[in-house]
Amino acid sequence: MAASISGLLKPWTPRVFLVRWSRYNPYYLEPEVSKEAYSQPETELSAEEKEQRELKALRPIKAATSGVTSSVFDDPVISKFINMMMKHGNKVLAREIMTQTLENIKKKQVEKYHKASEGEREAIECNPYTIFHQALENCKPVVGLASIQKGGKYYQVPIPLTDNRRRFLAMKWMITECQDNKHRRTHMYEKLSQELLAAFGKEGNVIKKKYELHKMAEANRAYAHYRWW
Amino acid sequence: MATQGGIVFQEKVSRLLRGQNGKPVLKPNRALVLKDAVANRKPKKGEASCITEMSVLMACWKQNNFVDSLCSNEINSFYMCVEKAQADAKNKAGQSNIQGGRLPPKEATGLLKRYPNLCKEI
Repeated sequence: MAASISGLLKPWTPRVFLVRWSRYNPYYLEPEVSKEAYSQPETELSAEEKEQRELKALRPIKAATSGVTSSVFDDPVISKFINMMMKHGNKVLAREIMTQTLENIKKKQVEKYHKASEGEREAIECNPYTIFHQALENCKPVVGLASIQKGGKYYQVPIPLTDNRRRFLAMKWMITECQDNKHRRTHMYEKLSQELLAAFGKEGNVIKKKYELHKMAEANRAYAHYRWW
Repeated sequence: MATQGGIVFQEKVSRLLRGQNGKPVLKPNRALVLKDAVANRKPKKGEASCITEMSVLMACWKQNNFVDSLCSNEINSFYMCVEKAQADAKNKAGQSNIQGGRLPPKEATGLLKRYPNLCKEI
């Protein structure tokens, strides 16, 4: 089952079938979970997509993780956030916290909605998913800092970040902030909902952290030429 | 043919090691055997990409006290520049592998490891 250079991969099926958490041979393809990908009629596909489909009919496919579903409620961003919150593999607890957080956000927003006057009601966002996504977007940094060695000294150089890195940083800051800076008697979902609503309104500690990173990058903009990529 | 040439070569090497008049010509501190790997080339250091876009973005930040909503144009142009630079880097890496006439060191090492130099008969 050793993975070799892709040129050596032959049509091959193992005698014993693999389970998700062992390492697959690169010959295996990723599963396609979304229903929309299969509901497209034949005519709308381009030549590449047709080739892909034919390839998928012949090659073995990896087993899907239990974290992905084909339901309409499956959100990869929220799944990633739950995985990052999870400790010691306790996915049940992490998911509970997430659902409680979203419920809490909804409760607070609906309360605000009912207390507000007619003119303000349209501006209040009640969907917890949009609030979550918008809050995460507001927390994502634009540039990051890298420690680059030049002439014996290490300088903090501003660098562009990939989308994945930015999303990871936003989520990491959110989670660490809510784990560290809270009163010992407040629940995680309570603190998370407070932080998310604050980030939605562009306030709060996570947004402050993002601004501090931007300020550092701006202060070090002279070292931007130390990058070589 | 190769074995005949090999025997002559081995005799030449042993003559060099034994030396004429008792003085050896070669005093190797390592075994005279070819390695199954090739030395890596130093990757060429490029230039930093998207510096102008970044400086424009930072000027905008300085003006507007780091509020992102007022600098959205600069941010978008910075992202587009970064995407273009990444796509360029990917294409360049693919092209430089094909061109150059010589095999890249990683592929050469892979091939040598698959057909290694046999030192012993066992």
